[in-house]
Amino acid sequence: MKAGAATGRISGTGPLFWAVTGLLLLLVAFPLAFIILQAIFPEIGHASLARPFSGMVAALGDWKLLGMARNTVALGIMVMAGAALLAIPLGVFRVLFRLPLGRFWDLCFLVPFMIPPYIATLGWIMTLQPRGYLQQLTGINGAGFLFSIPGVAFVMVLSTFPVVYFAVSRTLEAVGQRYGDVARVFGASPLRAFWRITLPLATPGLAASLLLVFAMAIEEYGTPAALGRRAGFDVLVTGVDNRISDWPIDLSGAAVLSLLLVGLSLIAFFTQLRILSRRNYETTGGKPQAIERRPLGLWTVPVLLFFAFAAFIACAVPLLAILATALQRTLSGGLAFGNFGLQNFTEIWSQGSDGLTALMSSLSLGVSTALITGLLGALASYFVVRGTGRGRVLLDALSVLPNALPGVVVAVGLILAWNQPWLPVSPYNTPFILLIAYCCILLPFPVRYANAAFRQIGTSLESAARVAGAGPVVTLRRILGPLVAPSMVSAMLLVFAVASRELVASILVAPVGMTTVATFIWRQFEQGSVGLGMAMAFTAILITTALPLIVLIAMRRTRMVL
Amino acid sequence: MLKKSLLSTLVIAGSLVSVAAHADITIYTAGPAGLIKKLTDGFTADTGIKTDVFQSTTGKVMARIEAEAANPVVDVLISASWDTANDFTQRGLLLPYTSPNAAKVPDFLKSETAVAQGISALGIVWNTKSGTPKPADWADLTRPEYKDLVNIPDPAQSGSSFELTASLVAKDGWDLFKKLNDNGAIIAGANADALNPVLQGAKAAVFGAVDYIAMGSQAKGESIEVIFPASGTVIAPRPMMIFKSSQHQDEARKFIDYVLSEKGQKEVAATYLMPARTDIPADRPLISDLKILPVDAGSIYPKRDETLATFAKTFGK
Repeated sequence: MKAGAATGRISGTGPLFWAVTGLLLLLVAFPLAFIILQAIFPEIGHASLARPFSGMVAALGDWKLLGMARNTVALGIMVMAGAALLAIPLGVFRVLFRLPLGRFWDLCFLVPFMIPPYIATLGWIMTLQPRGYLQQLTGINGAGFLFSIPGVAFVMVLSTFPVVYFAVSRTLEAVGQRYGDVARVFGASPLRAFWRITLPLATPGLAASLLLVFAMAIEEYGTPAALGRRAGFDVLVTGVDNRISDWPIDLSGAAVLSLLLVGLSLIAFFTQLRILSRRNYETTGGKPQAIERRPLGLWTVPVLLFFAFAAFIACAVPLLAILATALQRTLSGGLAFGNFGLQNFTEIWSQGSDGLTALMSSLSLGVSTALITGLLGALASYFVVRGTGRGRVLLDALSVLPNALPGVVVAVGLILAWNQPWLPVSPYNTPFILLIAYCCILLPFPVRYANAAFRQIGTSLESAARVAGAGPVVTLRRILGPLVAPSMVSAMLLVFAVASRELVASILVAPVGMTTVATFIWRQFEQGSVGLGMAMAFTAILITTALPLIVLIAMRRTRMVL
Repeated sequence: MLKKSLLSTLVIAGSLVSVAAHADITIYTAGPAGLIKKLTDGFTADTGIKTDVFQSTTGKVMARIEAEAANPVVDVLISASWDTANDFTQRGLLLPYTSPNAAKVPDFLKSETAVAQGISALGIVWNTKSGTPKPADWADLTRPEYKDLVNIPDPAQSGSSFELTASLVAKDGWDLFKKLNDNGAIIAGANADALNPVLQGAKAAVFGAVDYIAMGSQAKGESIEVIFPASGTVIAPRPMMIFKSSQHQDEARKFIDYVLSEKGQKEVAATYLMPARTDIPADRPLISDLKILPVDAGSIYPKRDETLATFAKTFGK
């Protein structure tokens, strides 16, 4: 850990660098290599290299592929644009103005992330379809809108915009009002100062989070499958899942299509890199700055209405739909007084300890994943932004790839990689394989958030630490660590939220005998017990929201800005 | 802070390890989680042999077995598609075994290497409060009363839906499906995705839903009914098989014996599946009560891709 102590910087080739690189290679490159092998050699699972490229030819020869690829890109862009339109104003009002109930809104916008996308989608279907909750309450239904391409994008925006909201507010927090104020001194109008100075300075966080949203949108399976198919809207990932959803299965074809998705996200990644390399975004120098939040004045009520509206559609509607479904004795009974009861909730807990065990497993996995990816992501990101070594672009790229890989394919890659008979020890078929899977899938979140944070910190702080005699590890721990901490906490909360409800990879890679919250819920759905599944989902959402809430309150006590 | 978080990670990770207990046999199964839990609990209580279960859909179970092929983990597989048993038999992966308890299982539900656990059938699931007349046959769902009110599970995502589609087409051609499309029927994903809208009433009927799941919902008080069409339907026997690679073949055989025992078969019947043994009573129509469409696996499976493509085109997907 003493590497580079003489220079005051952690050198690009020190042992810590290699340790981080090694872990990333193990977490990401190892399974990815097997996905590529699977794409080329269809029988790699049987340890055979027979019939190379046959699966690739078949999958790429599919006449529908071009349309699916076009739909995928279109959906990614639509969701990205929608998330930006919704989240940027929310983030700006939250940070730059004196907004009542600030932390309450933060919590409201974290909840959509706690709701598994397939459950949110099911909630929307049950609300808007003919004879759904909306029709039972008001007599109108929204099926025409929901089962359309804008409907798909709408539901996906609602489940992804928190990524942008938290990134924008964290970066704006670091930028502060100071630079905008300088522009005002030179005669710029408030709006002009915001558009030309403050918002552009927040580009790193914005670009990083939009990249995450794009990758999430092209990887998400449940929503386009449930809503888009009726509109004839097929995307690449529905093609991937079709190949693994029933016998006969085609692992090779699924791997080939997934690599196309990876290609798409790499293009997005390099676009983001180009945008960021044009300018310098350092805003955190040596001077301490207190954030001067401006009063909203007459705008208070309209802005609050806007926040309430966003919280209502993103948080309240899905939660209410889940709760209503869980509380009905029978779905066909509808929202009638006599049809309500707690029996779904009592049945979950009377089935034995399975539900509780699943909840505990998911919570521990969520916390472990958040801590590991947070630490690893911050270190990896430090080397990428501050390092000098050649490997840093590789490191950066490695840490973005898993985001675009469909979870089911990550699972196949992990099984192929970790179930090799020649491995002396393997985490396969132990709970650690789930931890590895989640770390692989979710590493992009902390890395993107940390990248944005490090880009904003001026190098003068590190130089000052060096002059004062601090070694690189001390600098990282005492100076840079605390400065990126708010961003890291946001990223780790998001990681926790996703990891504690991940479904797609868990279904395939979970060790025998182990159930997580998501697989538990999914089994209830598969058996037609929607109410039971929703009761478990509601309980899990409440509990997984309580944990971040405790963190938020604790941070307020320690006066960490969030 | 760094040390603290590392420490807490280790503690949490340590607590995860305790979840992984070593068992004697590993069972992979598609379908009812409740059933496999009852079967393994009863089996362990009777024999003292511990089990570990991986439960998912047939597709996911098969994907896992394929990915694990270099170093197999599974001892016993219970799938929802007989075709998987045929395929594994051909590839020489299965251990031949005839359980003494299989004597009362009809010949068409057992082979040298596989035997049925239970049997499901496809039927029309109809919402009794939908305000539509009760359908009696597949073709009824093409009538104007069911305009825009019919869901069809995707044959690309379900083996039995594929067999139903293929055998109906082999009998009468594509006419029925064209009419269904003209009447606004839609392809609605897997079985559960097709059934849920019928429960809430958004749709009136599912064309070819898995019967036992719907019967379970009906027993819970949902206003739905399962109708077995007069012109015939398909059944899906759920094969159980032991892998040659198993290190615990004796224990695996005992598990098959247990599932086929009177006690095991009663558990199967309790989930509204048809028991494989003919001497076990069940509170539902049995194979002898249904008209079964002939399914010629040898001729429909080679044409699977073609059939699915025509199906997709028919419904304008």
